[in-house]
Amino acid sequence: MVEERRILYEHLDVPDINTFDVFRQYDGYTRFEKAIAEYQPEEIAKMVLDSGLKGRGGAGFSTGEKWSFVPRDIEPRYLCCNADESEPGTFSNRYVLEKNPHLLIEGILICCYAMGIETTYVYIRGEFTLGKKMLDAAIKEAYEKGYLGKDVRGTGLNIDIYTHPGAGAYICGEETGLIESLEGKRGQPRNKPPFPAVEGVFRKPTVVQNVETLCNLPFIVGNGVEWYTQMGPTYADTRFDPPKPDANTGTKLYCISGDVNEPGVYELDLGLTCTELIEVAGGLRGEEVKAVIPGGSSAPILTHYELDTRLDFTSLTLAKSMLGSGGIIVMNETRNIVDCLLNIMKFYAHESCGQCTPCRWGTPWVRDIVQRIADGDGRKETITRPKFGVAENGRWGDTGETEEIYEDLDLLESVANNIANVDTMTWNTICVFGIAVSWPAVSYMRKFRPEFEAAIREGKLVTLPVAEATVPPEENYAYQQRFIPKEFADL
Amino acid sequence: MALIKLNDLEIEVEDGTNIVEAARQHGIEVPHYCYHPGLSRPANCRMCLVEPYGPIPGAPPGTIGPARQLATGCTTTVRSAPPERKLEEKYDAIVQTDSPRVKKAREDVLEFLLVHHPLDCPVCDQAGECDLQDYSYRHGHDKSRYLEVKNVPPKKDLGPDVLLYSTRCVVCTRCIRFAEEVSGTGELGLINRGSHDEIDIPRSHEGTPIQLLDNKLAGNVVDICPVGALISKDFLFKSRPWFMEKANSVCSGCSVGCNITVEYKADGVYRLKPRFHEDINQHWMCDDGRLGYHYVNSDDRLQLPLKRVDDELTPTHWADALTVIQEQLSEVGAEDIVVIGSAQATNEDNYVLQQFAHDVLQTTQLGLFGQLPGEEHKFPQFTIEADKNPNTAGARTILGSANGNVVLEDDALWEKVSGAKVVYLVSGAPERPLGDAEKAALESVDFLIVQDILPSEVTQLADVVLPGTTFAEKDGTFTNSTGWVQRIRKTIDPPGEARVDWEITQQLAKQLGGEMNYHFAGEIALAIAENVPGYADATHQNIADAGIKLAGNEQ
Ligand SMILES: Cc1cc2nc3c(=O)[nH]c(=O)nc-3n(C[C@H](O)[C@H](O)[C@H](O)COP(=O)(O)O)c2cc1C
Ligand code: SF4
Ligand code: SF4
Ligand code: SF4
Ligand code: FES
Repeated sequence: MVEERRILYEHLDVPDINTFDVFRQYDGYTRFEKAIAEYQPEEIAKMVLDSGLKGRGGAGFSTGEKWSFVPRDIEPRYLCCNADESEPGTFSNRYVLEKNPHLLIEGILICCYAMGIETTYVYIRGEFTLGKKMLDAAIKEAYEKGYLGKDVRGTGLNIDIYTHPGAGAYICGEETGLIESLEGKRGQPRNKPPFPAVEGVFRKPTVVQNVETLCNLPFIVGNGVEWYTQMGPTYADTRFDPPKPDANTGTKLYCISGDVNEPGVYELDLGLTCTELIEVAGGLRGEEVKAVIPGGSSAPILTHYELDTRLDFTSLTLAKSMLGSGGIIVMNETRNIVDCLLNIMKFYAHESCGQCTPCRWGTPWVRDIVQRIADGDGRKETITRPKFGVAENGRWGDTGETEEIYEDLDLLESVANNIANVDTMTWNTICVFGIAVSWPAVSYMRKFRPEFEAAIREGKLVTLPVAEATVPPEENYAYQQRFIPKEFADL
Repeated sequence: MALIKLNDLEIEVEDGTNIVEAARQHGIEVPHYCYHPGLSRPANCRMCLVEPYGPIPGAPPGTIGPARQLATGCTTTVRSAPPERKLEEKYDAIVQTDSPRVKKAREDVLEFLLVHHPLDCPVCDQAGECDLQDYSYRHGHDKSRYLEVKNVPPKKDLGPDVLLYSTRCVVCTRCIRFAEEVSGTGELGLINRGSHDEIDIPRSHEGTPIQLLDNKLAGNVVDICPVGALISKDFLFKSRPWFMEKANSVCSGCSVGCNITVEYKADGVYRLKPRFHEDINQHWMCDDGRLGYHYVNSDDRLQLPLKRVDDELTPTHWADALTVIQEQLSEVGAEDIVVIGSAQATNEDNYVLQQFAHDVLQTTQLGLFGQLPGEEHKFPQFTIEADKNPNTAGARTILGSANGNVVLEDDALWEKVSGAKVVYLVSGAPERPLGDAEKAALESVDFLIVQDILPSEVTQLADVVLPGTTFAEKDGTFTNSTGWVQRIRKTIDPPGEARVDWEITQQLAKQLGGEMNYHFAGEIALAIAENVPGYADATHQNIADAGIKLAGNEQ
């Protein structure tokens, strides 16, 4: 049986850990003090790079690498903490804010020290009223104790934190949408480049980091890089010569929900399998796993054939999905995948910021097609089309064969792919919200096509037995959605 | 300069040029909605996608291929690259605007743009000059795959001249950006989100407008709206664009001299649209100018010469009017005559007038008349000037161009007019009120000849009224406040027996035995070029559509 490894969450349930004094008893702020006493800012940045820490907010980008893009000669620079946690199925940041806000403050202090930043904005999801209240109280205390403000603890550092409540939009979690919203504008993502590291808040270099990512910093500094890198698998990216280490180090706050007996947040080493995770969460509720969403609702779905997939950044990418925000949603045999997709598409159609054409009008269109199918109004006409899959050159393409498909399923796939193409991983949108829409749409349809076909054929939602509902992996078509990456090897 | 390979063309463009413009300069269309050269570039419509080429990661050095993602042509700019970064050893960029991938992307974006569109071209003012129609025709699908219900957002009255047909809006945000960046008035914004996005003005919760789109530049949003969403009430349902003729001209509303296109039919002027001039008005014009053309079409226009009979202005024919004038003029000495030109009239009109005064009447007493000064309006990227005449600078110089001529204005002029025996005043300023002193001075004149376009306080005092023409009915040039000499062009015929102003003056000169024989305005411009300092290059041929800047006015 896999055990939780609580690091970020270790003291979460200690009474009054949200107060400075209790936090202090559990080494609170000592890691920050260590950072200042023992390391130069550049050394901290180097440690973070060496630790292999990847962003926990969704994109999984190397934190140390991101820091290295920030021009050090432009003042002021900002830190923006992304606490807008709104990805369906994700609720780990919220506990930190509500229960252990000083840990986040310590993470922010370390980041500010490493990057020479004086001002931090914490953009908190508007609905997190308690989280904001707790964080605001902790910030106030930190000011009183001299850990924030002018000349922090006599070090000459000036560090301020401002909290900003979100205005109720999922898209404000996208880092540039967040920045626009923070600046008081409509929450609409910016065109990139420039990336926030170069031009972010008020057009100044900005580090945008998720709450969980920042909360890792005290432990990397406190326990050292070596300690940190022992947790989680590191692969070798053999696209490079010599192979480049591809780290999935540290723990992850997995938010497990859906058909498990004990849903909740579990802190585990990266790299456990779906099956192990379900076990940790008290086992499956129901008879059989039908599907698992591995990284928040935007992640392509996994079928019961894929339960051995390791839930880390690399493995999920190779499985043509993503770890995303670590929101794991488990579905048992009673779930209808068409209905699930409809639920998700309703969310995305509502949350598209509406800025760019394909997403603004494509997302509700996808929703409407799924709605029509779910309502039993899917068109029964079929078309014959070229069958796509792994072509002779080993890449995604035309296999030379043809297939019959319901016109509406072809339309669903085509409209979704026209927003963002999951096969070529190209998109015509400003931000990757587009791919967050087409990934579920296309993967659900392809992997559970029999259930979509049944809904059209029968004129109503039909929940098929798991084995019948799922397209097996041998039919490569459903599972191969992207460029086929070159080999990764276990280190 | 940057050398780019655009499709199979090799072209050179200025550093910093974007792909849309680079292609346009060479006759290649990169369709676009949100991009407007006068506004910021949000790259939100995704219509202008192009395929850039570059080094392929992981491939041997020197191998280039298409980038993984298409790029927006509006925000992709090219500049000269250092030698080691050149592509195929010489290009600063290689871009495809018509590859299969690009064509597919365009089709896809167009399909999305049309899913909620009402396709009401038959009743839409924009039809015929609509980017959605044109691009759909050239780059789109031929049938729709959309079966679902369309959004029907409401039609909105945004302000005095602008209506919004929300259903047609493609949410390119050009209008919003215009109000932010150019007029700085910020009345427009988006409400709702996603597919429910709507352009709107600020409203209370009940929906009552708090602020209207009511600024003097508001009309420009209608021009820049790429579809038929923003519509001018003034033009609504008046004409199909393809039924109107167009002529390049200059606004006569103030001394800025905005470049415009006059759109007209035989029965009148239908609308004025701004025309790009980098140094004068960029892409814009003001609503005073834009909507100020109605007097041209007025039923009240002077159509026949008038003469005072028993204290009543009575219609007569040209020969009679000119004979009456000839009689009066031959009875007075040159020192009793004042000839007043107009800042509303062209350089050519004023030149013939001063030539008539100097050579035929042998008076050097000239004056300058025109519209009264109004207010100046400053916007972040546009200024409407206080001088409401299009040609003050030109008229002043030209009237004073002959040896010994004195051009009097304002008080000095009215002083001279008081007690003059004969005054020949060219006005052409619609609805020009007269001040007390002006009125008194003109009343004291024994014989007042007024050349004008509409009955006015000035014509009321006249003994003979000669019907002249507006900017829309004649060729000629105006000189704006910054020294640009620009052409206006004849569009419609003058009403009734009204005639071009310089022709009237020339006819009068001939009647009095003067030797003047111009056939068209361009010929007068040649005489101006020869005789008026600074105007040496100001021939119609040189001026063409871009105008020329007078020597001595370079900044
Ligand atoms: C549509 C969309 C929604 C997102 N929502 C969140 C969010 O709620 N919280 C978050 O931390 N990151 C979110 N992200 C990811 C951020 O853009 C960004 O990558 C992240 O905040 C960077 O921090 P990290 O490197 O620490 O993960 C979202 C991204 C997209 C495209
Ligand atoms: S992809 Fe969607 S969410 Fe992202 S900017 Fe475009 S419209 Fe907004
Ligand atoms: S009203 Fe016209 S200019 Fe404004 S956003 Fe819509 S389409 Fe663009
Ligand atoms: S600014 Fe002056 S010249 Fe330009 S449109 Fe307005 S009135 Fe006409
Ligand atoms: S014109 Fe380039 S994205 Fe709209």
